[in-house]
Amino acid sequence: MAAAAESILALTGKRTTGQSIRSQNVTAAVAIANIVKSSLGPVGLDKMLVDDVGDVIITNDGATILKQLEVEHPAGKVLVELAQLQDEEVGDGTTSVVIVAAELLKLADELVKNKLHPTTVINGFRLACKESVKYLNENLSFPVEELGRQSLINAAKTSMSSKIIGPDMDFFSEMVVEATELVKVTDSATGKITYPIKAINVLKAHGKSARESQLIKGYALNCTVACQGMPLQIKDAKIACLDFSLQKAKMHLGISVVVDDPVKLEAIRREEFDIVKRRIEKILAAGANVVLTSGGIDDLCLKMFTEAGAMGVRRCKKSDLKRIAKATGATLTSSLANLEGEETFDASQLGHAEEVVQQRISDDELILIRGTKARTASSIILRGANDTMLDEMERSVHDSLCVVRRVLESGRLVAGGGAVEAALNVYLESFATTLSSREQLAVAEFAQALLVIPKTLSANAARDSTDLVAKLRAFHHKAQQNSKLSHLKWAGLDLENGEVRDNKEAGIFEPSMSKVKSIKFATEAAITILRIDDLIKLDKEEPRGGDQCGA
Amino acid sequence: QGSKMMGAGGQPIIVLSQGTKRESGHQVQIGNITACKTIADVIRTSLGPRAMLKMLMDPMGGIVMTNDGNAILREITVKHPAAKSMIDIARTQDEETGDGTTSVIVLAGEVMSQAQQFLEQKIHPTIIIQAYRAALEDAIKLAEEKFSRSIDVNNDEEIKTVVRSCLGTKMISKWMDLAVDIALNAVKTIRVDKGGVNEIDIKRYCRIEKIPGGTIEDCKVIKGVILNKDVVHAKMRRRIENPRVVLLDCNLEYKKGESQTSLEIVREEDISKILEQEEIAIRKQCDEIIALKPDLVFTEKGVSDLAQHFLLKAGITVLRRLKKTDNNRLARVCNARIVNDTCDLREDDIGTGAELFEITKIGDEYYTYVTSSKTTACTVCLRGPSKDVINEVERNLQDALHVVRNVMLNPRLVPGGGALEMALAHALVEKGKSIEGVRQFPYKAVARSLEVIPRTLVQNCGGSTIRQLTALRAKHAQSADNWTWGIDGCSGKLVDMKELGIWDPLSVRIQVLKTAVETSVMLLRIDDIVSGTKKSSGGDGPVKEMPM
Repeated sequence: MAAAAESILALTGKRTTGQSIRSQNVTAAVAIANIVKSSLGPVGLDKMLVDDVGDVIITNDGATILKQLEVEHPAGKVLVELAQLQDEEVGDGTTSVVIVAAELLKLADELVKNKLHPTTVINGFRLACKESVKYLNENLSFPVEELGRQSLINAAKTSMSSKIIGPDMDFFSEMVVEATELVKVTDSATGKITYPIKAINVLKAHGKSARESQLIKGYALNCTVACQGMPLQIKDAKIACLDFSLQKAKMHLGISVVVDDPVKLEAIRREEFDIVKRRIEKILAAGANVVLTSGGIDDLCLKMFTEAGAMGVRRCKKSDLKRIAKATGATLTSSLANLEGEETFDASQLGHAEEVVQQRISDDELILIRGTKARTASSIILRGANDTMLDEMERSVHDSLCVVRRVLESGRLVAGGGAVEAALNVYLESFATTLSSREQLAVAEFAQALLVIPKTLSANAARDSTDLVAKLRAFHHKAQQNSKLSHLKWAGLDLENGEVRDNKEAGIFEPSMSKVKSIKFATEAAITILRIDDLIKLDKEEPRGGDQCGA
Repeated sequence: QGSKMMGAGGQPIIVLSQGTKRESGHQVQIGNITACKTIADVIRTSLGPRAMLKMLMDPMGGIVMTNDGNAILREITVKHPAAKSMIDIARTQDEETGDGTTSVIVLAGEVMSQAQQFLEQKIHPTIIIQAYRAALEDAIKLAEEKFSRSIDVNNDEEIKTVVRSCLGTKMISKWMDLAVDIALNAVKTIRVDKGGVNEIDIKRYCRIEKIPGGTIEDCKVIKGVILNKDVVHAKMRRRIENPRVVLLDCNLEYKKGESQTSLEIVREEDISKILEQEEIAIRKQCDEIIALKPDLVFTEKGVSDLAQHFLLKAGITVLRRLKKTDNNRLARVCNARIVNDTCDLREDDIGTGAELFEITKIGDEYYTYVTSSKTTACTVCLRGPSKDVINEVERNLQDALHVVRNVMLNPRLVPGGGALEMALAHALVEKGKSIEGVRQFPYKAVARSLEVIPRTLVQNCGGSTIRQLTALRAKHAQSADNWTWGIDGCSGKLVDMKELGIWDPLSVRIQVLKTAVETSVMLLRIDDIVSGTKKSSGGDGPVKEMPM
């Protein structure tokens, strides 16, 4: 197959076509899904990833696992990107999206082998995807208001249950929900409420135990004051956020000053110092008593701050400063120059907070900005046994924050634990029978593919998946046939005990948006790969002028 | 459990880069457990008063002699990722509490190895984890409420007993009383009451100065600062009482500007003009200092010969090239403010808090002492026959200092000598009986693994493990009042810790439990190791091998 085509191509390379490339792609996709499969669900386990330097990452997050893997196969790469996309868009459900996509491909491959044209399959998948999203929105989701705040906590718990913080989910879900609620922003123009979870600063400090992680109402900054003479606590703080260094003015490289009068040398030296001194004077004169800068503060200037009783913090991260500026109502100033070409610092550029204090956490010191004026901020300080654990905790908390935000913003939930998938499966199967074209087969396979989620969940919990899934489907069939029994549509898996239960009652929720997106993304990815019928892989061009890069 | 390997289709399809190696399932779990046990075995013998030192040689040929768990593990290079996590926890323990680094590793290793039996019985790791968590929570609660007592922070005697039990396992135990006094005095000196909250910053305000020579008995705490420095000019005064101190962090020499300046000289007389100007600049700086009539000037940077001359004439003693941290400590001792431009010098920048400035010669080096009885910064001066010994003494003292700090911040104590662990083990086993389902087995396993501490203590002093441990277990079972009974690490006998006076700070022991169990929980959750993943782009990484 490949060898025959080689001579036709002008360049050296390999060409694979037809069924063989399709099978190859599918195998690759399935292989990728198999890697992440065991991390799905509350009884899923983690992966340890060791990179070539020897650094260790322990994670349960599908996107992180796939990002770290060096996937070479092109179809595999599509799946990796798929996980990334889900991560960016929703933040959670990265594992399930990959598994569903791979399963779709596997089943589609069978259809194509049975001489169904790929385009027909694609059409069928599109139709099925549209139908299922419609059905999900109409029948399977319910508004948050129905259950109130508890539903938020439950949604956070569901997302955490599979993660390292699972055992402490009562504690963390409460924290995550509170943190998200603290950063609520109402757009004054449109009245739209958003929850920019980026404003939640997640810091890590090792020591103590996970339970001692804390939520801080205010912004925590992983820096210390520039020198010890500065006050460690300032009430009613006026904060200046600067994006330049308070260091001796220095000419750019390559510019040299030529003087002929030796006396002037001293003047230049003095001036260098005076420039920065004047700047600080202006800032302090505007009333600032906390100065945060992304650059350095020269030792020379520290005394000015100390004398004014002001706190100076250097080398803050710019992203931190931006958020602080937003939270306190300050302007992140990148230069003091105004339009007239003079240097000014106006009091309106200052942000306000009730208190800025330096606090000792473990062996480290943090600066906390409490009671910010413009909008509330929150920070989470994670504690844990070691760095690898903290990293994983951070990822888990981030996922949960995303989930809570999605729930708050979209306001709709679905029941988790495979409930949605099973319901859609039953629905799509009956929907398929209403179609009299070839698409019927594809829709039916789509329905079948969705079942991979409950199947994997029960397999990971070491339960009899065939038996459980059959039971689950029976419940949903009843719910859809008999309108009196419609409460059965919340039936999902209880993986602890290996039973089917009402997951709405048990409080296993996922944001409906996450489910919708993951079905859509999975379908799209499957279609993309399915459309391929030819793979041309060119050999690397021989580098002419010696080997420079190697890769 | 369907975890098929890739490429099952028959034809070879390369999905992952070829440099990637993947291990999964049971093999990984067993591998992780073995790695943890191995690490624990390395330092098992350095637990307790009969602990042995380890001599570690680094590739450069340097020697470290220690029985500090963290110090040992820091020097060991391991390859297995799980072993790396183990080493990490020793560091965490050290940073958080400064003591108990050996116990945490030994305990974590035991907790992991207890999990092996359950994994072999095919109990799902999540069940084990849940049980471990529950056990940890109960243990912490029990330790806080039942098996601890509080002490009076102001009672020196009581604190001393705690420090004594901490140091009992260390090399410095031969000079116990001395070390205890040093630790207590040092911490008391640097304790600052800040609105009801005690601030004890050992890292910043308590420096340990090591001076080889002399004997260990010569170690002492100095309220103030010791600097390994001499005056810049031999004629300057070497002893000043109640000095007026100026702290600078600028050069007392002519300094070029930051910008690149070049000076083109056309006329001959300009050269002398430049030199003259440099002299004037220094003169000015010195005059500004002299105007305030200080006795002492410290600077972080250099002092030119000319400036030395001017200052000497004014009768001012100058020391140069101080470390930033030393300067900060000096500022705390003298109540001075560090100034970085002489033209900013003002009367209130001058520190008058110091009582005595003195330079003495120890061995063939000069040491500067700046002392004050009221200060809140101190220096511990360590003497000893060789550098390696002093280094170990320093590590011991660090531990002792941290212990004192922990007790002062959280004045609750638990019995040492494995008594707390045994008491917890007993209580957990009792509690485990009421737990339903499979979970009770891993729950009880945590209790069993706690016994590793008294067991290792007996082992290390050559006692009969089984007999003593059974006796201890029986003692705890007899009556709930026996919770203070543990192992005397020197003789291997059963003793009441109340009589022996071995008490550990609660915060240390709790941290040990937390860190050990949490780490095992994390490691038990792993069922797949993929090595050789990418970090840097380009070039496929070398194939990693997995030892163990």
